[in-house]
Amino acid sequence: MAIRLNGLRTALPVGLALAGLLLAWEAAVRLFGVPAFVLPGPSGILVTIAEKSNILSAGLLVTLTEVAGGFAIGTFIGVALAIVLVLVPPLELMAIPLVIAINSVPSVAFVPLVLLWFGLGMASKIALAAFAVAIVVLLNTLQGLKRPESEAINLLRSFGASRFGILFRLRLPAAMPFLVTGLRVGLARSTIVVIVAEMMGGYGGLGQVIYQATAMMDSLTVWAGVVVASMASLGLYGLLVALDRKLVWWR
Amino acid sequence: MSSEGIQNGGMAARSKASVIPPHLQLVNVWKRFGSEPNRTVAVSNVDLSIAPGEFVTLIGPSGCGKSTLFNMIAGLLPPDSDGSILLSGQPQPDGALLGKIAFMPQKDLLFPWRTVLDNATLALEVEGMSRRKARAKAESLFPEFGLMGFERHYPHELSGGMRQRVALMRTFLFERDLILLDEPFGALDALTRAMMQRWLLDIWERHKRTVLFITHDIDEAIFLGDKVMVMTARPGTIKQTETIALPRPRDASVITSPDFMEIKRRLLASVEEESMKTFALSRDAADRKTMS
Repeated sequence: MAIRLNGLRTALPVGLALAGLLLAWEAAVRLFGVPAFVLPGPSGILVTIAEKSNILSAGLLVTLTEVAGGFAIGTFIGVALAIVLVLVPPLELMAIPLVIAINSVPSVAFVPLVLLWFGLGMASKIALAAFAVAIVVLLNTLQGLKRPESEAINLLRSFGASRFGILFRLRLPAAMPFLVTGLRVGLARSTIVVIVAEMMGGYGGLGQVIYQATAMMDSLTVWAGVVVASMASLGLYGLLVALDRKLVWWR
Repeated sequence: MSSEGIQNGGMAARSKASVIPPHLQLVNVWKRFGSEPNRTVAVSNVDLSIAPGEFVTLIGPSGCGKSTLFNMIAGLLPPDSDGSILLSGQPQPDGALLGKIAFMPQKDLLFPWRTVLDNATLALEVEGMSRRKARAKAESLFPEFGLMGFERHYPHELSGGMRQRVALMRTFLFERDLILLDEPFGALDALTRAMMQRWLLDIWERHKRTVLFITHDIDEAIFLGDKVMVMTARPGTIKQTETIALPRPRDASVITSPDFMEIKRRLLASVEEESMKTFALSRDAADRKTMS
């Protein structure tokens, strides 16, 4: 009960602010007679979303599949690499400078190359999303795995625990909060890189919908695509928050 | 060297020593860090021997190498090759002690993601016991450790004294005959500490384990121990072994008895001398620094 009340207490001001913003936007567009190709009102966008729901939902499905697929693969690769690196410290010394160097380049920069390698279909987007997620998950998880103090490791050693025992009983649980942070950042990055890649070359997806509408000067559909894309990433973020509570239950 | 340690032991130790080897024996144990000229000697020439079932306390000034000594006995750190550690008469090569001794470090080191119950069973799980069996075994100890009703709580919900008891329970559940306790009550307030000391003696008398207990509190060392060993300032070595013949079971009134006072007076002089040395050493070092 208390939680629901608290939820309402935080949701209420946000909802009010959002409603106020939308009303002011709609009023301004109508009052000043702004043409739709410059800035459509929220009501216009909503109508377009309903009208174009076929194209938009098809695009959304493609984009979500790419993001989810890339996210899952990237998370797996990132966590697996982090575990290998923490178990083999010399490898970490070699790999980490490289990873940090790659991480400092926005993954969007790799889009043309990846399109060339993996084609214009979903594979290239999944690869890009996986790459964006893997790097940030790797760095965060590694930091978390190395978090436990030597006293805690020694305690487990004194019980006769092996390296794997220490990994599973201490390092991995200690890394969970860091993994969750990595997942959040990774999700945002993978959504961006997928949509941009779809714009630069693809057969479907919200990025392609936005790109084609832009080419046809159909700004209402552009806006509709943008709104659907942001709603989708908001939804994904919500899922991640729920996952966060599962992974870091003790806080 | 070793026979001296045995003769200094308590009544129990002397009567058993002829038949049973000491539970734990350290012969000429050294630990040096770094190489010349920057060599630090943390522990030098330690000889000690503890009989089965004995409660031995170790006091010394801070930074005297007590924790290094403990890490060596727990098998976490190999002693230098000129000394050896024997467990029930058996020499222990590097790493062989891991998993043989119940070791409780200074910090409680409870894992925040585990409930009190699952923290207590940690060692059992490492040994491969099923979670269900381990929990059942731990649950029976909760009343004795004063933690009944807190099985499903998380460590951050407990007071300092309770956390320490959970850590102790974790150590006790790792059923080894030798228990190493590194200042387990150091962070507790005086009242809680006195209570925990009596409680620990109670547990020890019932479970019949051998205990080596580090502290920097002389009252605590005398109150708990069959033997009190005094360590010197760094490089740490055993300077003096005092047998505490106070009758057991001991209660709070022991602390004010004349016998207790007499022992305390002797030990205090010895410990203070060592503390002064560490003070002088650090002052010398500071002087040298300012001069150069």
